[in-house]
Amino acid sequence: MTLPGWTKEPLVHFLAAGGLLFALFAWIGEPVDPASRSIVVGKEEQARIALQWELTNGRPPTDAELAAQIDRFVRDEVLYREALRMGLDRDDAVVRQRMASKMDYLAASAAETAKPDDSVLQDWLERHPTRFTDDARFGFEQLYFAERGTAEAALAAGGQIRGEAISLPVEERNAPRSEVSARFGEEFVAALDRLEPGPKWQGPVQSGFGWHLVRLTEKRAGEVPPLAEVRQQVENDWRSATAEARREEGYRILRDGYDVQIEK
Amino acid sequence: MKRILGIGLLVLAVAAGGWWLFLRDDPEGVAAKLAEAEAAVPLTDYPERVYWGDTHLHTSISFDAYGFGNRLGAEDALRFAMGEEVTSTTGIKAKLARPLDFLVISDHSDGMGALQRLAEAPRLLLSDPTMQKWHDMLNESPQQSLRATSEIIAAAAAGTLPDQMLNSDSDGPTRDLWTEHLAIIDRYDRPGTFTALAGFEYSLLPEGNNLHRVVMFRDGYDRTTQVLPFPSLETKVEDLWAYMEGYEKKTGGQVLAMPHNSNVSNGLMFETTMSDGSPMTAEYARRRARHEPVVEATQIKGDSEAHPFLSPNDEFAGFGKSGWSIGNLDASHPATDAMQGGNYIREALKRGLSLEQQLGVNPYAFGLIGSTDSHTSLATGDEDNFFGKHTGNEPSAKDRANAPQNLGTRQGRFGWNYLAGGYAAAWARGNTRAEIFDAFKRREVYATTGPRMVVRVFGGFGFTPDMFEGDWVKAGYSRGVPMGGNLADEGKAPSFLISALKDPDGAHLDRVQVVKGWVNPDGTTGEKVYDVVWSDMDKRAMAGGKVPLVGDTVDRAKATYTNTIGAPELRSVWTDPDYRAGQSAFYYVRVLEIPTPRWTLFDAVRFGIKLSADALADGVAQERAYTSPIWLGPAKAPKPATQG
Repeated sequence: MTLPGWTKEPLVHFLAAGGLLFALFAWIGEPVDPASRSIVVGKEEQARIALQWELTNGRPPTDAELAAQIDRFVRDEVLYREALRMGLDRDDAVVRQRMASKMDYLAASAAETAKPDDSVLQDWLERHPTRFTDDARFGFEQLYFAERGTAEAALAAGGQIRGEAISLPVEERNAPRSEVSARFGEEFVAALDRLEPGPKWQGPVQSGFGWHLVRLTEKRAGEVPPLAEVRQQVENDWRSATAEARREEGYRILRDGYDVQIEK
Repeated sequence: MKRILGIGLLVLAVAAGGWWLFLRDDPEGVAAKLAEAEAAVPLTDYPERVYWGDTHLHTSISFDAYGFGNRLGAEDALRFAMGEEVTSTTGIKAKLARPLDFLVISDHSDGMGALQRLAEAPRLLLSDPTMQKWHDMLNESPQQSLRATSEIIAAAAAGTLPDQMLNSDSDGPTRDLWTEHLAIIDRYDRPGTFTALAGFEYSLLPEGNNLHRVVMFRDGYDRTTQVLPFPSLETKVEDLWAYMEGYEKKTGGQVLAMPHNSNVSNGLMFETTMSDGSPMTAEYARRRARHEPVVEATQIKGDSEAHPFLSPNDEFAGFGKSGWSIGNLDASHPATDAMQGGNYIREALKRGLSLEQQLGVNPYAFGLIGSTDSHTSLATGDEDNFFGKHTGNEPSAKDRANAPQNLGTRQGRFGWNYLAGGYAAAWARGNTRAEIFDAFKRREVYATTGPRMVVRVFGGFGFTPDMFEGDWVKAGYSRGVPMGGNLADEGKAPSFLISALKDPDGAHLDRVQVVKGWVNPDGTTGEKVYDVVWSDMDKRAMAGGKVPLVGDTVDRAKATYTNTIGAPELRSVWTDPDYRAGQSAFYYVRVLEIPTPRWTLFDAVRFGIKLSADALADGVAQERAYTSPIWLGPAKAPKPATQG
């Protein structure tokens, strides 16, 4: 394979390399030429400064406010360039540490934002089913009595039973256990756990309010839903349980690219 | 040459694009899914159940929480509030017996993440000797870390923070933190089951006087990432409102602010003037009412409902005052009697009516909620699970009730002055961001000091007790207005349909009261507390205008009580006996539980410590709920602050 003659010119190599460096620096945000003493705060840069100000203050800066921000930007830029000219970025523990923490942050957020695929999450769901099981559900009617004796007497008397007044629902259908617990209290819902559904009034069972006769019409144990229904929850759980390991993984990927020798 | 450069640039562009894709979260995907899930939540015709939440919780990115030792972030805070088990910073496994329905994480906007950065910064970076000292203290020991944080709060209050701290290059790091934080909140929001709302705390603190607000957003990542949390340093509250107006205009979203701890503002929170001392303008009043529809009435750092000095006839106004009423937030300036009027909510509601008479707008027509202000990332609100104001007084600090607890470096407050914290109750048609936020906006919310009692109140005309025989809630909505609403004066006494149901797992109720405030034609104001319904009314006859005390079953040595006194539910239809035609007034309901042990007694039993005489004397309290008021006024009653 023969290459055109101009590709062998050292000057071309030099320019190409320079171009790449130019692009690289432009991309990573370093100044094009640290030694340059010309600072142009272009319209784009001004817009960026104004936008940053607006993000915090919720309105665009006035001309005076923008001018003050630009002055600050110029001041920082001058000092920054002078610092680079003096080589203050080299062998400086502060800068080194700052760059390292920036990279650490980037690597960590890469790990943090890595998307687990379905098989990882399916596996997680199968290994921790109880964390994602639906609430048990209940359907029931209830009649309230302040005293146990009254409730027992009403049940024994049979016929049309009337409860006493209280601001609680007389009937719940397909209600999640957590909701029954929030309204009636833990003691009551624990009692429902022990009852079997049937057409008859049962009880009385106790709650924080008093006593209840209950007609339990429906009782359904919680099930493990398919992944599609609880994907976000499974992902949250997987994320929080494996965060540290994945942060370490982020570093390991970078570290693997290095040959490190520690001399004895 | 051109081509090579072109290819080089292309390669770089692809690499950069790939890197960007690799780094960015998928929040838009989450946002779309959330919108879909929110739309699928069935809504009831009117609010049928109440939702419980904490709107004021700090995590490790709050500079002081971090300084006090907290290392739990938003994810742990959300998991804990939803009912999952987490391990606290001090290594204690913690799980809420009863999960919350919603949570607003409200980390300080000032110095968000700053203390973590200060602690982790290379020491050389810190040219300021004070910052070097703080850096060392933060890394030395938990005690020193706590001390450094106290010093930083004191310096912020005194306006003597080092320049380097004020001007530190924080925009970039704050933006990263904020964006990541918002992504987590979206991931945990589960429409219909658990609502995670974005917010921050704006901690305006002139000379240590607390003018703090919790700012709460209605929206998700796509909108909230368009702004940064608004810092308070060198601002006034009007600047916050301008920020909020800017946010709504720019994103089409909604945001509101909730003042808190007016009790330590040394009279500044509810002034009758503007912040510069000049007379209040209608425009100022309108902006305040619009942006601040709700105030946090009770939390760990005391209760701000009423004060015995202002309400000498209210024998229950002393709750949560010990320690707090002596001065401002850092106790750098003592509070004088003249300041108390601007410190308490009942007085503010009265001032609002008086100002409305002059200006045509009521700046203080706000609803009430409670919250925790916990700095442990753990939203605990009950007496038997108090996890501490901050990580330095988590339950592992066994003598925390007796220990001095000074936010600043001045003396004067003790651990037992802390309340266990409160919760916010919202009447909403479903558990979604929009429904919860809108309940706050229309003030259909109430405060409790922790217990989850269910409180309803409707105002109207011609309500009768037989309404309780039928569907009175539906009737309340169709024939009247719920808490937070406005009643137009019809020339006859208003009546109120009131029901208070005890916490299903808590204590019985002592009494239900209506607190009325009004304004006279000369601009002066008045107030009266009415006992409306109470337990064992046949045995506890009113004498000299007062209902006898309910009694006390608390065993101080065991931290127990029994529900052998009080009632599971109290309800009544009450008609104002002192109605005067044409007089503007507000009415809110206060519900008192029977006396129960405070967290200090639980601590004494669990950890075998001996409480100081003062702490023991304050070891029992009547926990309570405060509803948002209903306002009665002429043609133009104060309107709920709505959009637009």
